[in-house]
Amino acid sequence: MQTGRLHGRSPVHQRPGVIWAAPAFVYFLVFAVVPLVLVVGLSFTHWNGLGMPRWAGAANWSRLAEDPTLGSSIRLSLILTAVAWLVQTPISLLLGVWAAGPGRGRAALSAVFFVPLLMSNAAVALLWQSLLDPNFGLAELIGPLLGAPDGNVLGDPGRALAAMALVVSWQFIPFHMLLYQAATRQIPRSLYEAAAIDGAGRARRFWSITLPQLRHTIVSSSVLIVVGSLTYFETILLITGAGPGTATRVLPLHMYITGFQAFEMGYASALAVLLVAAGTALSIGIVRMTGYSRMDSSREGM
Amino acid sequence: MTTRQEIRRARTAPAGAHARPARPGPRRDGSRRPPFLRRANPLAALGALAWLVVVGMPVYYLVTVSLRTRADYLTAGPLAPPTSPTLDNYRLVLTGEFGRYFVNTAIVTVVSIAVVLALALPAAYAIVRGRHPLIRTGFSMMLLGLAIPSQAVIVPLYLLITRMHMYDSLAGIILPTVAFLLPVAVLVLTSTLREIPNELYEALALDGGGPMEALRTLAIPLSRPGLITVAVYVAVNAWNGFLFPLVLTQSQDQRVLTMGLWSLQGQYTSNVPALMAAMTLSVLPVLLFYAIGRRRLVSGLTAGFGK
Amino acid sequence: MLRVRRRARYLALVAASALALSACGSSGPAGGGSGEVRVWSLQDGVNKAEREAVAAYNKSADPKVKMETFLNDPYKQKLQVAMGSPQAPDVFMNWGGGNLKQYVDAGQVHDLTGALNADPAWRDRFLPVVMKTAQINGKYYGVPERGMQPIVLFYNKDVFAKAGQQPPKTWDDLLRLVDVFKDRGVTPFALAGSQAWTELMWLEYLLDRIGGPAPFQAIVERRPGAWKDPSVLRALTMIRELVDRGAFGTNYASVDYDVGGASTIFAQGKAAMHLMGSWEYATQLEQNPDFVKKDRMGWTAFPSVPGGQGDPKNIVGNPSNYMSVSAGSKDKEAAVRFLKEGLTSDAYIRGMISVGEVPAIKGVEPQLRSGPAPEYGTFIYGLVSGAPNFTQSWDQALPPNVAEAMLTNLSKLFLKDITPQQFADAMDKIK
Repeated sequence: MQTGRLHGRSPVHQRPGVIWAAPAFVYFLVFAVVPLVLVVGLSFTHWNGLGMPRWAGAANWSRLAEDPTLGSSIRLSLILTAVAWLVQTPISLLLGVWAAGPGRGRAALSAVFFVPLLMSNAAVALLWQSLLDPNFGLAELIGPLLGAPDGNVLGDPGRALAAMALVVSWQFIPFHMLLYQAATRQIPRSLYEAAAIDGAGRARRFWSITLPQLRHTIVSSSVLIVVGSLTYFETILLITGAGPGTATRVLPLHMYITGFQAFEMGYASALAVLLVAAGTALSIGIVRMTGYSRMDSSREGM
Repeated sequence: MTTRQEIRRARTAPAGAHARPARPGPRRDGSRRPPFLRRANPLAALGALAWLVVVGMPVYYLVTVSLRTRADYLTAGPLAPPTSPTLDNYRLVLTGEFGRYFVNTAIVTVVSIAVVLALALPAAYAIVRGRHPLIRTGFSMMLLGLAIPSQAVIVPLYLLITRMHMYDSLAGIILPTVAFLLPVAVLVLTSTLREIPNELYEALALDGGGPMEALRTLAIPLSRPGLITVAVYVAVNAWNGFLFPLVLTQSQDQRVLTMGLWSLQGQYTSNVPALMAAMTLSVLPVLLFYAIGRRRLVSGLTAGFGK
Repeated sequence: MLRVRRRARYLALVAASALALSACGSSGPAGGGSGEVRVWSLQDGVNKAEREAVAAYNKSADPKVKMETFLNDPYKQKLQVAMGSPQAPDVFMNWGGGNLKQYVDAGQVHDLTGALNADPAWRDRFLPVVMKTAQINGKYYGVPERGMQPIVLFYNKDVFAKAGQQPPKTWDDLLRLVDVFKDRGVTPFALAGSQAWTELMWLEYLLDRIGGPAPFQAIVERRPGAWKDPSVLRALTMIRELVDRGAFGTNYASVDYDVGGASTIFAQGKAAMHLMGSWEYATQLEQNPDFVKKDRMGWTAFPSVPGGQGDPKNIVGNPSNYMSVSAGSKDKEAAVRFLKEGLTSDAYIRGMISVGEVPAIKGVEPQLRSGPAPEYGTFIYGLVSGAPNFTQSWDQALPPNVAEAMLTNLSKLFLKDITPQQFADAMDKIK
C-alpha cells in the first residue's frame, strides 16, 4: 500500500477523530437512550405528570397482570397487524410489479398512487373520519356494502377495527408499492427472455420468476409492516379515540391514554416498556433478516 | 491526473448506487425490451384502475368538499360534483390562525433539517473514515436506537422536556424530533460516503488536506444526493409530525399544522368544507415538493422505510 | 376523547365568532413583575368580555391587572404546573369542585369567606346554588365569573308538532315518546355516542333523579362500594333499557359531537330530541342558524322519574367557572378588589350577556331579556336559580384516572358490551 511509504513524510490519511461523531452520539444518547432508561425507572413509580414521581415498587408491574384492557389491547394489536399485512402485501406487490413496467400511463398513475403517502397521519385520519361519518360521509353510500346499512362503521367494534386496518393500508400501500417496484426493476431481464423461449405465459412467469425473485423484498416489506404497525396509533387516536368502548384500543394507544388522559404515567411507563420490548424484538428481526447493518450490500435489494 | 481533476470527475458522475435510485416512470431503455414484455396486460390495468378509484375517491372528496358551501355539503351527497364552487372556505381558513401554524411548522421543519444535517454528516464521515473504537460503539447504539418506537418513550421525554423548561416551545418539539430522525440520517449518509473511493482521500491527503478539508471538498460535494435524501426525509417527517407536538406543546402560539388541523376540527365543528380546505392547504407544500423533485422525495421517503 | 371534547365544548360557545377568537389575540410570555395583578383565564369567546372588563378596571386601578389566556385543555395542565411555584398567577380561573379542591388541599388558595362576609352586598349577588361548587370544607375559595352551563333537554318543535306530541315531563312520557318517534321513523334522541361524555349526561341526570345528589357525593368522596349503590345500578339499567328500546337509533356510536353530527341530525329533524349542555344553543346558532332563528328548537328540563328521591328541579352540568386568589399572591387585597370591582361589575355582566352567557348573578333577568337570546337566557337562568342542587359534570368532578375509566366503561355499556353490574364492579375496583 502506498500510504505506508508516504507515512513518514506527511500526516497522510489523517483520520477524523471521535470528536466528529460525538455531537450526534451524545445528542442521541440524551434524547433517545436516556429516555429509554428513564422509562424503565418510571415504571417503578407513581407519577401524575406533576411534581416528582413517587416510588411505587413493583405495583405497576403487578397491575399489568390484572389489567383487563391490556390483554385485549395486545390481541387488537396483533389482529390489526395481521389484517394490515394481509391487505397491504398482495395489493402493494401487484401494484409494484405493474408499476415497474414501461409506459407513460403507468408512470402517471404511479404518481397519483403516491399521494396518500404525502399526507400527514393527521390529515389522513381526519379525511377518513369525515368519509366514515354515518350521516354525511361515504359511510351512508358504502355502508350497506359492508353490512352496515345505517352507516354504523366507526360505532361497531368489529367494523371499526376493520376500518382502521383499511385506512392504514390506504396510507401505506404506496410505500410498499415503491419497494416492490424498485425490486422488480432489478430482476434480470434474461430470466424472462429464457422463460418466454420456453413458452411460459404471463401468469407462469409471475409465479416462477417475479415472485421468487421478490422474496427478499416480501420479507423486508412484511417486517416493515409489522414494525410499522406500532405507529398506527396516531391515526386511530384521531379517528376513533380508541373506541367504541375499547374496540380499537391497541397497545400503544392504551399506553398513551393511560399516560396522558388518565395521567397514570408510572403505569403508562410499564406499558411503554412492553412496547419497547416488542419494538426491539421486531427490529432485531429486521437486522437479522435483511442485513440492515450491512447497508452497502443490502440496499440494492430494497 | 491531479486530485482536483479527479474530484471534479467524481462530482459529475453520480457516486454509487445510492445516487441512482430506481427511477419511477418509463425506463430509458424500455424500447429495447422484448416485445412480449411490452404487450398490454388488461387484467393488471383493470386492477390499477380499481386502485385509482380507491386512492382517487377520498382525494376527490377532499378537494370537492373544500370547494363547497356548508349548506351544500350537508344536503348534496358526499360525491356530488361542486356545482357552484367557492373559495370561501380557503378564505376562512387563511384569515384564521392557519398562517401561524404554517410558520411554526416551517420553523420546526427547517431547524430540524439543519440540526440533523449538522449532526449526522460529521458523524457519518467519522464512521466511514475514523478508526476510533468509540465510533463503532456509537454507531451500534444508533442502529439499535432505530428500534425505539418514539411513542414508547414519550412519557420520559415529557418529563425531560418539562424539566428542561422547554415545554410548550417549538424547541421542545424539535429536540426529540431530531433525535428520532438521526439514526436513519446517519445510516443514509454513511452509505453515501462509503461510495467515495479511498483514492480520492489519499490524493487529497497528498495535497496536504486534513479531515476538515476532506469533508469540505470531498464528502459534502460528493454526497449531495445523500444529503438531499436526508433533508427530504427529515422534512416530510418533521412537517407531518404529530405525537411530539401533541404531548409537548399546548398553546395556540406553538401549534403546528397537524395539531392545528385537529383543533380546527373542534373550532369549525360541522364546517367540514373548511376543515377540508385547511387539510388541502396543509398537504399542498409537500405536493408541490413532490411535483418538483419526485425522485428525491421518493428516495427521501423510502430512506426511513416508513414515516 | 377528553382532550378534543373540552375544547369543543367551550369553542361551541363562541357562536359565530370564530373571528372574535383570533381578534382576542393572546398573551405574551409570563412576565410577572411586582406591582401588577396577574390573572389567568381561558382564551375563548367569553374572554372578549373579560378583556373589556380588565381594560375598564385598569383605567383607575393601582396596581393594574394583566390578563393571560390559554386554550381550555392546556390551561389545566399549565395551572397545575404553575400553582405552588413562584410563577403562580395572583388570580386564576378554575372549574370549582374537585378541580379547585386539590389546590385548596395543598394550601395554595386564598380563603375568600372573610372578604365575602365583609361585603354582604357582593356576596349576595351570586346565585347560591352556583356558589356551592366553590365552597370547600365550608369555606368559599372562588367566585363565579362566567356563564352557567346546565344540561338541557332540547327538542325539535317541527317533529313534535307533526307527531302531535308534547315534550316529556316524566320518565313514562319519555318512554312513550321513544316508541312514538320510532314508529314514525325518527330517531328519538340524537346522541353523539362516539364521545362518551355525551352518554355521561344521561347517567348524571338519571342518578340524580333516582337517588338525589347523595350517591354521587359518595362517589366523589371515594367511599368504598359507592359505585355499587342500588340507585347507580338502577340508573345504569334504565340506560340499558333505553338503548334496547332504540331510543338512540342504531348508529349513535359512530356519531360525533365535535364534527356536528348529533346537532345536525337533530336540526334536520332526523332526531326528535337532544340531551346536551346549554352550549347547544350557541352550537346550533352557528351551525344551523335557521333552526334557532325560526324558533324550531325547543328546550325543557330533564323529566322526573317516578318514585325517585331526587328533586326534579335539580340540574347537572357545569355550574360556572370561578376566579380564585392564590395563597401565594403578594397582593391579595388587590386581587380580591379586582374580583369585586372588575369581575362583578355591571359592565362585565353586560359584556358576558352580550356574548351569549348567562351569568350566575341574582336578578339579571331584565338584562337577559334585552340580550341576544332573551327567551333562552331567561329559561337557563330560571332553571339554575330554581334548582336546589347543581351537580358538577362527573368527568370534571372526578380525578382523571377515574374519569377516563368511567367514560370507557360507559361507552361499553352503551355498546351492550358490559352489563350495569359489570360497570359497577369495574368502577368499584379503580383505586
